[in-house]
Amino acid sequence: MPTATTFRAQGGRRGGMAAALVAGLLFPGVLHAARVSDVAGADWLDQAARFLSFRDLSVRYAVCGAVLLGVCCGVLGGFVVVRKMALMGDTLSHAVLPGVALGFLWNLSKDPVAIFVGATLAGLLGTGMVRAITHTTRLKEDAALGLVLASFFAAGACLVTMIQRLPTGSKSGVDKFLFGQAAAINSGDVWLMLAVTVLVLGLVGLFYKELLIVSFDGGFARASGLPVAWIDRGLMLLLAFSVVIALQAVGAVLVSAMLITPAAAAYLLTDRLHRLLWLAAAFGVAAGVTGAFFSFLGHNLPTGPLMVIGASTVFAGAFFLGPRHGVLARWWRRRDRAARTRRENTLKSLYRIGEEADFAAEGATLTELARLRKETLEDAQRLATDLVRHGLATQSDDLVYFTPAGRQRAAEIVRNHRLWELYLTNSANIAADHVHEDAEKIEHVLGEEVVRDLERRLNHAAVDPHGRRIPTAGEIHRAAGLSGESGRK
Amino acid sequence: MTVPPDPSPAPLEIHDLTVSYHKKPVLWGVDLAVPRGQLVGIVGPNGAGKSTLIKACMGLLPLNSGWVKVFGRPLRDVATRVGYVPQRESVDWDFPVNVMDVVLMGRYGRLGLLRRPSAADRAAAKACLEKVGMLPFANRQIANLSGGQQQRVFLARALAQEADLYFMDEPFAGVDAATESAIIAVLRELRSQGRTLLVVHHDLPTARSYFDMLLLLNMNVVAFGPTAQVFTAELLQKTYGGRLTVLSEVAHAVGAQERGAP
Amino acid sequence: METLVPAFDFHRIFVAPWTTEFPTFGWIVLMGFLVGAACGLVGNYLLLRRLALMGDAVSHSVLPGLVVAFLLSNSRGTGAMFLGALAAGVLATLIIEVIHTKTRVKQDAAIGIAFSSLFAVGVLLTALYTSQVDLDAECVLYGEISFVPLEPMVEVAGLTLGPASLVRMALVLLGVVALVVMFYKELLVSAFDAGLARSLGVNPTAMHFGLMAVLSIVVVSAFEAVGAILVIAMLILPGATASLLTKKLPWVHAGAVVHAALSAVLGLHLGVWLECSLAPAMVVAGAGVFALAWVFGPEEGLIARWRRQRGGGPEPVRAP
Repeated sequence: MPTATTFRAQGGRRGGMAAALVAGLLFPGVLHAARVSDVAGADWLDQAARFLSFRDLSVRYAVCGAVLLGVCCGVLGGFVVVRKMALMGDTLSHAVLPGVALGFLWNLSKDPVAIFVGATLAGLLGTGMVRAITHTTRLKEDAALGLVLASFFAAGACLVTMIQRLPTGSKSGVDKFLFGQAAAINSGDVWLMLAVTVLVLGLVGLFYKELLIVSFDGGFARASGLPVAWIDRGLMLLLAFSVVIALQAVGAVLVSAMLITPAAAAYLLTDRLHRLLWLAAAFGVAAGVTGAFFSFLGHNLPTGPLMVIGASTVFAGAFFLGPRHGVLARWWRRRDRAARTRRENTLKSLYRIGEEADFAAEGATLTELARLRKETLEDAQRLATDLVRHGLATQSDDLVYFTPAGRQRAAEIVRNHRLWELYLTNSANIAADHVHEDAEKIEHVLGEEVVRDLERRLNHAAVDPHGRRIPTAGEIHRAAGLSGESGRK
Repeated sequence: MTVPPDPSPAPLEIHDLTVSYHKKPVLWGVDLAVPRGQLVGIVGPNGAGKSTLIKACMGLLPLNSGWVKVFGRPLRDVATRVGYVPQRESVDWDFPVNVMDVVLMGRYGRLGLLRRPSAADRAAAKACLEKVGMLPFANRQIANLSGGQQQRVFLARALAQEADLYFMDEPFAGVDAATESAIIAVLRELRSQGRTLLVVHHDLPTARSYFDMLLLLNMNVVAFGPTAQVFTAELLQKTYGGRLTVLSEVAHAVGAQERGAP
Repeated sequence: METLVPAFDFHRIFVAPWTTEFPTFGWIVLMGFLVGAACGLVGNYLLLRRLALMGDAVSHSVLPGLVVAFLLSNSRGTGAMFLGALAAGVLATLIIEVIHTKTRVKQDAAIGIAFSSLFAVGVLLTALYTSQVDLDAECVLYGEISFVPLEPMVEVAGLTLGPASLVRMALVLLGVVALVVMFYKELLVSAFDAGLARSLGVNPTAMHFGLMAVLSIVVVSAFEAVGAILVIAMLILPGATASLLTKKLPWVHAGAVVHAALSAVLGLHLGVWLECSLAPAMVVAGAGVFALAWVFGPEEGLIARWRRQRGGGPEPVRAP
């Protein structure tokens, strides 16, 4: 009788869930019970050694499975990320659950093929529903994705709880499809995964060109006469395949992360799609294998979350340490630029000090430098030391001299600054007292080519809007040579 | 408009074309026959259906009624003879491809399924890049290009298609003066090779000097003919002026009725 | 020997829950309704703002917040749980924001990365501390609505109000209704046009974060009953169904509440019949109601559309 008592009894299992989880893990199937039970050692060091030795068949299966699903999800995930289909992937992965349950019901056992077929059909039905809803109602895609995701998942959850009520169901391991258990992978699963991976790699290789153009510019692809709709459908089918083979190890709830996260990490590191796909596959494998490894260590841990955390770690690594787009690299470059700007400002001040004395004096005192930069003496000393360290100046006592390189760079900066001021007042009709701030920024970034162009446009003008002389190119070279001699004195 | 008795069919022929967007008609009863070797500008106010016309011709939008023939045949049969420059905003410029990859895409339609671009295709793509002055940037990721450079890449990709009929959607939008003159030079060269080009353009003053023929469009064809004949105050007033607000109001009403709004 | 689909016993399915078993099922169906109504009202604004998947992200990321709060405070105190979940929700929004503004990874992938990572951490912590945390893997996914009647009853001044989580949910629903009534205009304007809202003196950013905060509170209160994933259905289905039938926001709200009631009652019967978990059954029932509205909707239903198309509909007006 399904009364409240039944529900209470069901709930009473909650306390024993942990035990059930462990038990389910240790006995993923009657057939494997003996083999897996001798896997479950006590000490995690032993466990690690055991895992790495690949002695156990289940470890080998788990690792094979992790590698295959990592490759499959990584490669297809690349397309998911660049085509902004991440949430479609999420919906697809939740929508397979009722199919898993129905596949299981086919002959009340964990038959890989039945589950594969059921889950693929359910996933495709789900994505088809999303399309149907957005096409025939005013609901937007996000709403359609969310409601298909949750409704299909609910239907799956109903079926799973019904299966668990069956006498054969409670030890069926169908609940392993929620969070995944790599140790439950058997040889049949591995063969299926291998077949799908070969299919995915083969088709992506054969149709790479088409997938690339459809992903980048669907309108152009259609205009070129390519069968865009079929390519899209094919990609969706492959996506469904790869989600389904990853289910056993990652679980329906988190499998979308294996599509998104490794590929997103790769997207941060490369500018070409084919490299992105390879990298994503590598990251997928890394995440998969580490997930399987750690779930083996702590032997009541579901594999899916561990794989996802592995993938997220890779993403975080790419996010922070990526050589070009990484946060650290960008921070470093910004710091580098700030330091260079500071040095160039010091050089400019030294130049101005020399200019005030008509270049009669041979160096500038720290006091003068501090006055012009509006800094304390200590800070002026720090600026001078920085110049010396970069070979732009030399210092004896409190006098700072240019080196040839320093004098050249100083003259260039002053020239850039004054040219830009002149350009703004002449060509952009900005008042002379408004241009200084802007020039302070621009002077550090003007390239030689732009400078030549500016000089030409301004007819090689000699004086800036404030009446100061603009150093010419020839002068910069000569000055460098001269100060080189004076620097050596 | 009557088609001249020419043995070779017109590059583009449109008959009674009606296209709706969200049930609201955007183009109504468009009839058009474009002769060979012409540089045609499509001008009209915002929302006049200029891009819609191009997309409908390219088969990117479903037609409510009417037909489009390219070189006397349905577009599907002659897709490789048609080139396309979509609006720059239509793609994600963060996409992980470089300039060369994008230009090579112009060859894909010709290559057909399963075949990879050959050395000859690469050479052709390089020549196209050279023509638009972008060869030095061939290996650059497309996000690191200016707007004008991105537009040139799209033009190079269209050149690589080696088509006889080109549709270009606002190729001059948001580009610098140098790029604009480079693009118009390339367009004129294509025209002088006997190719036909339809170009959506939104700047009236330059339209007059750029194009051989003008299509004045505002939901239907207001006028189509040689620039000198069509670029008149009266016709422009008709295109941009008030007459057609009635049309758009009716279109709105039709759309609302179709959608079942109260 | 039990079978998958139990026999259809009218008395067992339709009569018993309202008579002999009512003391139990009454609370369950009421809880289902309260969750559906509160989620539906908040969800309407998510739909208007096209933020439906934000609900997805927040509901997943709440889990690690709950677990960490529990492990730290070592109690199931409502305050600590709310704080933890809110913090996790904010963290999720922050991660999403950082990823998609600082890199070229787009928002959809950023949402996927953020919530899957946080959820994975939550599940892992749950698995590690199952004996301590009063949650288990399946409860995390689809809740334990059938436990509601087993909770200690809340009594105020000698009057028995109901199970604790139900009373909490009722208060949350009252709060949501009050907020919707009080800020009706502001919510509508800021959802519709942020620029216009600003010019009318409504701060759209404040409205956005207010909405997210209310969303987190609703999700947390509903978490025990319906879990992390089904709550997405609770957020989207009522409003989506109602908006297929009407366009006026007050009616959409009303329709969402009716949908919540329908799915709770129908879900109860479905769940009792099939002897499966009741929360997923309620969602399946709600999805069924949505499907009915989709197919049979008088104006925009599939059949109405098909009829119009077959009938030719109004001919496009010829251009003059």
